[in-house]
Amino acid sequence: MNKNLIFLIAFALIIITISELIGFQAIPLGSFTIGLLPLVFAIILTMFLGLKLFRKGIMKKIYSEKNIHFASTYLILIMLPLMARYGADVAPQIRDILQVGWVFIIQELGNLGTVFIGLPVALLLGLRREAIGATLGIGREGELAYISEKYTLESKEGRGVLSIYIIGTLFGAIFFSVFAPILLDLGIRIEALAMASGVGSGSMMSAASATLVARIPEMESTILAYASASQLLTSFLGTFTMVFLAAPIQAFMYKKLVRGDKK
Amino acid sequence: MSIQKNKYVKYGLILLLSVALILFTMEIKLIKNPESTPITAMTFAGLGVLWLFSMIGIFISDMMQKSSVKFIRNFPILGWVSITSLLLCLLSDFFVQAIQAVDFLSITTPILTFAGISVANRLVDLRNTSWKVAIVAVFVFTGTYAGSALLAQIGLHLSGN
Repeated sequence: MNKNLIFLIAFALIIITISELIGFQAIPLGSFTIGLLPLVFAIILTMFLGLKLFRKGIMKKIYSEKNIHFASTYLILIMLPLMARYGADVAPQIRDILQVGWVFIIQELGNLGTVFIGLPVALLLGLRREAIGATLGIGREGELAYISEKYTLESKEGRGVLSIYIIGTLFGAIFFSVFAPILLDLGIRIEALAMASGVGSGSMMSAASATLVARIPEMESTILAYASASQLLTSFLGTFTMVFLAAPIQAFMYKKLVRGDKK
Repeated sequence: MSIQKNKYVKYGLILLLSVALILFTMEIKLIKNPESTPITAMTFAGLGVLWLFSMIGIFISDMMQKSSVKFIRNFPILGWVSITSLLLCLLSDFFVQAIQAVDFLSITTPILTFAGISVANRLVDLRNTSWKVAIVAVFVFTGTYAGSALLAQIGLHLSGN
């Protein structure tokens, strides 16, 4: 057994305590309100304190290679109780959800927004083959596997998807916890935002749905039910949407747009 | 066989750590805000249920590795746990009651704590990432979320909800 693990656990307890004592902070920015949850403080603190320059003395023991390896290998297990919770949110509302089931399926197509919005921007910025990897999806395991199988990760496409993967891993949760309430202030319905939260990444989904819950606590059960049903659907349909829709549409748009700018 | 057994013991312990951290987070949350979800006997039952469902999900995922269908083999373990939980919660209301005695936001804080630690060595990789891709990332994330939200908004409107 890894003896530094005790430092990791003690450190986690301290970070949780600090984050929870700071608590939910609503920050008004003009007509928008950005809500920062304890989970945002937790990820910012642990990322910041993990910077190489702090790794001296006790911090070196906390952020030891073994501990970082432990955290990244078993993050998926640590996340399982969250997934186990979602059944309890969906089950009582299963009738309502099935009633608007087609809306859940339709909004899955919204995930093509990565191609429709991301690809033109990427090409405008001068990216070419990297753009294929970077805009196929939000760069989670599914896209990573698809791109590495088709182009390998050493290719330009591979670099694109890896970059999105890294950015998403580092900042995805923070981004969604800020972006979801902005759309709420723009007048999008909470149910729609809850459904959209099922983007296919566990931590991004929890960040998005958690800020929505913090903003409208009386809708907690609906928000969590819709978010988790949509997340589950994404894990079923996501691969198909990517292979049969996102990839062909992307190839078509890429050809049109790249040819267009040569003229 | 014993390697397999050891693996489950290890996974069981890590899951125990995970639910213990949730309990700890709930306690701190109660200090900060006495109005938040109280810790009752049901909370402990709920944490036990979450642990159990997670273990069942892991077990199913392992069983499915023997499947000849690639899609089923690659189906994420997170998905199996959600399905297990959904089916069992549909079967018995006790599970629903117990799980709902566990505060939702308290589940998320420990996860993001570990997520932050797990990426500690990844920050260096950012240097190899061009600023162009970083800008694209913002549009990619915006695209998927706003795209889904707009379609859902239109769908809900059309269905008269």
